[in-house]
Amino acid sequence: MTALVVAALSAREVSRRRTALLLVIALPLWFYLVRRDQTGQSMRMLTLGIGWAVSTLTLFVVNASRGVDPRLRLSGASTAAVIGGRLLAMTAGGVALATGYWILAAIDQHLDRPGTALLMMALTAALAAPLGGLVAALLPRELEGALALLSVCAVQMLADPAGLTAKLMPFWSAREIGTYAIDATGPDYLWRGLAHGAVTWLICAGGTWALFAWRLRLPRYPEP
Amino acid sequence: MSGWDHRFEAELLRLGVQPGRARQLTEETAQQAAESAAEPDGLFGPAHLYARHLVSELNTAALPLSGGEKGQVRLRLTGVGKRYRRRTVFTGVDLEVRSGEVAAIVGANGCGKSTLLRICAGLTRPSTGRIQRTRRVGFVPQDAGTAGWLTADEHFTLFGAAAGMAPRRSRSTGEHLAARLAWRPARRELTQHLSGGTRQKLNLVLGELHAPDLLLLDEPYQGFDQGTYLDFWKQVLTWRDAGRAVVVVTHLLHDLQNVDQVYDLGAVA
Repeated sequence: MTALVVAALSAREVSRRRTALLLVIALPLWFYLVRRDQTGQSMRMLTLGIGWAVSTLTLFVVNASRGVDPRLRLSGASTAAVIGGRLLAMTAGGVALATGYWILAAIDQHLDRPGTALLMMALTAALAAPLGGLVAALLPRELEGALALLSVCAVQMLADPAGLTAKLMPFWSAREIGTYAIDATGPDYLWRGLAHGAVTWLICAGGTWALFAWRLRLPRYPEP
Repeated sequence: MSGWDHRFEAELLRLGVQPGRARQLTEETAQQAAESAAEPDGLFGPAHLYARHLVSELNTAALPLSGGEKGQVRLRLTGVGKRYRRRTVFTGVDLEVRSGEVAAIVGANGCGKSTLLRICAGLTRPSTGRIQRTRRVGFVPQDAGTAGWLTADEHFTLFGAAAGMAPRRSRSTGEHLAARLAWRPARRELTQHLSGGTRQKLNLVLGELHAPDLLLLDEPYQGFDQGTYLDFWKQVLTWRDAGRAVVVVTHLLHDLQNVDQVYDLGAVA
């Protein structure tokens, strides 16, 4: 119940920041347009753009609530409800954004496996929310957090996809699932991508929860 | 029992009234309504607000009428100290605050008043000492603590949800508490557009929304005009009379006439 209220109000807060929201929505479009002539490249860049946009938005939402969250804990909310609610809102928003861009891509490109393309984009959005949360937990200041996310996305974009560095990046799953969806390869790419995505989600969501559980912990003072 | 009775009893339990006593009060209230041949809703108003009012009245009745012995201890600090690396902020703080009592923490800038209040709340760890505190505590910080892109009503919903209250009940309780501070929140006005004083009123309401036994206020009157400042102290005295324990950080010496005890942190820092 508390998590749902936190999620609904977080979504409402973001929806009121219209300029920021428009820029976040438009960000993946620029990634898509620069490689629009190549289906595989445009889809991968679009997906990375969604990941970057959603993770950065989550970073700012989580950081903006630093003054409120300790008071919510004092009022009786659990850390899981407070942080989980915010991640839930950002995940839902990210999946909606991914679905919107998938419709655009499905109309504008020839996709052999459109359902898997949607999976790739939605999974990336679902990974991006806890990634933004984890960076917010590790780097409480917004500038430092935004620069860290920029670095992650730049490395993800530039690293050799077959090398170890790319595999250690959070959105490597998108490349694997994308290869299956667009280049019509065997299902081993899909399963590898899903497994990488699941492990990444667990690390990011678990890490975010653990760090905030520590940061928002309240001592149990005995009753007088 | 009617729906009103159920809601009334549930709110009494939520406010910490023992189950047997809550049932007895519910039955007595239902009997009063029956004797008046009226619906409880029409006679007493919303169940959750009447429960709050009744608990407040009962707490007042349980306290001595003037001075002398106070109620239960709500906060006890024994030898509390805070150190940041090699810098000692304060040490050896002993303080006891009882229900029906207002304590002021005073001291020069930088002597650790806000830190001490955060320690009382549990938001900052003490370096030394022992703290005993009642479970239900409301904390009003000096600044921040609100979300600029939410309205006052949405804050009531958010903080009410944290305390396990349903959204409608949170909103009506918040509006009721705001009215006591001579403030009627506008439905669509974002917190970032509120004046500093009105934002502090919101802060105060959020601190009190879940009916805490102990209120910790960190210079909550920043930005208040003269009338609101007087309303604020009237409200503090109402809390005291209702059996709440209140700790207020202040640097205004003329505030001290309103309090029961003064702790000068500058003297021990």
